[in-house]
Amino acid sequence: MEATKQESRISGGELANRERGRRAGKVVRFLAIIAFSIFILLPLIFMVTTSIKQPIEIRESGALLPTRGIYIINWVNAFITEPLGMFLRNSTLVAVISTFFVMLIAVPTSYSIVRFTTGGNALPSLILGGYVMPPIVVSIPIFMGIKSLGLANTTSGLIITHVILNVTIAVFLLDSFIRTVPRELEEAAWIDGYSRFDTLVKVVLPLIRPGLIATGIIVLILSWNEFLMALLLTYDPSAQTFPVGISRYQGQHGLQFGEMSAAALTGIIPIYILVFFFQRYVVAGLTRGGVKG
Amino acid sequence: MASLELKNVWKKYGDVVACQDVSWRCEDGEFFSLLGPSGCGKSSSMRMIAGLEEITDGDIFFGDRNVTKLPPRDRNVALVFENWALYPNMTVYDNIAFPLWVRDMPKDEIEKKVQWAAKFLDLSGILNYNVKGLSGGQQQRVSIGRAIVRQPEVLLMDEPISHLDASLRTRMREELESMLRKLGATTIYVTHDQVESMAMADRIAVMDKGLIQQIGTPKEIYSHPRNEFVAGFIGEPPMNFAKCDLVKMNGSLHLKSESFDIKLNQVESDKIAKYKGKPQVKIGIRPEDVSVCSASTKNSVGVKVEFVEVQGERNILTLALAAGEDFLVIAASDIKPEKGTSIHVLFDQNHLHIFEAENGNNLTF
Repeated sequence: MEATKQESRISGGELANRERGRRAGKVVRFLAIIAFSIFILLPLIFMVTTSIKQPIEIRESGALLPTRGIYIINWVNAFITEPLGMFLRNSTLVAVISTFFVMLIAVPTSYSIVRFTTGGNALPSLILGGYVMPPIVVSIPIFMGIKSLGLANTTSGLIITHVILNVTIAVFLLDSFIRTVPRELEEAAWIDGYSRFDTLVKVVLPLIRPGLIATGIIVLILSWNEFLMALLLTYDPSAQTFPVGISRYQGQHGLQFGEMSAAALTGIIPIYILVFFFQRYVVAGLTRGGVKG
Repeated sequence: MASLELKNVWKKYGDVVACQDVSWRCEDGEFFSLLGPSGCGKSSSMRMIAGLEEITDGDIFFGDRNVTKLPPRDRNVALVFENWALYPNMTVYDNIAFPLWVRDMPKDEIEKKVQWAAKFLDLSGILNYNVKGLSGGQQQRVSIGRAIVRQPEVLLMDEPISHLDASLRTRMREELESMLRKLGATTIYVTHDQVESMAMADRIAVMDKGLIQQIGTPKEIYSHPRNEFVAGFIGEPPMNFAKCDLVKMNGSLHLKSESFDIKLNQVESDKIAKYKGKPQVKIGIRPEDVSVCSASTKNSVGVKVEFVEVQGERNILTLALAAGEDFLVIAASDIKPEKGTSIHVLFDQNHLHIFEAENGNNLTF
């Protein structure tokens, strides 16, 4: 009797201990996440505070928080000194249209590679080769090509370039999604009366909708952030995209850190909103692409 | 519904020959089974009939219609897949209705047909369910529903119940058979399970290595296998085989080996009288056609008991011949010899098969 009491008391104490341990673990984990988040977000926070500092303060001190009060002059100037609206318009145009064409090309390409082993082993390898190649390698031929098409310094030229660059990654990402569709399902649809094209459009695509969204978002972000080709192919604001536009804030009037920060923040807001709403798909797309054999 | 005929059909994948000169005919409304081990060409045959696989050479007819070059959607066949291949994220109703709305059938007609199929398959209560949550048996009925709803000329079934667990399989087998009989559809049933074929089919085509080995009713194939492969593939436990020589002694034929010396009776002797080939043969006898006798008699074979499996209503004895070959015998439940002892068995000559050792042909066919 005595012994059982003793035991139950011990186990009760142990339970409390365990509970305490669990809570402590939670706190540690929470603190770690906070610390990591601050580390990741620091540049962004710094950019936000810089954008609301008085311009003179930016040059004087590297303090994180504004000490002389909050000013919105950088935000106003960002739109005045450079045509920021036009950069954003160009970026949107290039990203959306190039993504549309990338998907239009990549979906049937990936499908035929998976289902009909089009191109045997060579085509997937070539596509992978295109994906891992540094873009600078093809910058000269692309520049010459776009120029000879008379599309230098146009958004159309940039759209074509982004399609060329991003089709490879899209084919690569879509591949693993298309492989998840059982072959029998397509065969069932053929027998039930669909043509191969109808089967792709009406049976396969609805099933891989999450993959299509993920791939689309990723390609859209890649195009939005693309700097090198945009810099090479455009030379005035009528065709320049947002990343190139940002670089214009250094130059004419010296380095305008405040304006640059404000402009950069304006440019990443649309992407952040997009990712916020579709992050589930983006994560799925990236992880699936990453673990495939 | 229509009859189905394969005429000299070949299928080659590169150098691999999946079907060699396959010809057979399935009558209108017949339940025809393609049976064989994996890789025998039965699935290739079925996929060619469905139009999923191109035909290397030969012709396929549905009734008088040559469908050899037609794509699947123009053939009017239906296929029940091994894994059922239901459209996920669709309800039972939509899955069954799918082949109808692909064909732009009017809505009220679709409704009528789907209701008919659902009633026929006892799915009326779950028409609005998503197929994902259904049990294996239900999914399988939905896939049959999708196949029969448009009344195809030929109904193909590819191992439709091999994914179900054993107890459900037996029940589904019975249900499926009575269902298909009621439907009266021309059915090609592909399976590797001889029990399914034997229990359900009107006729069976046994395939191996891309060749049709034998076509016949279950009874014909069981009692009169054309060759050693068919004999060994059909029946559970399988037929016993033993090597021996066919020799003539004192004017009568004997099967002689290290293990036994059996004098053939008149009927058997007549059957193989014309045989002029090599004396090396193999005998084949089913476990139920061997009886245990108490003492050595004329034609009896001395064997050693290796194992006794008690099954309740019967015992299965594993015996070893003098030459070492294993021999299975189905015996009554009261026959339970000790392991390691020697006993004597008699072969029922009415059911004794003699195969040419060289090519496996049944000389007593």
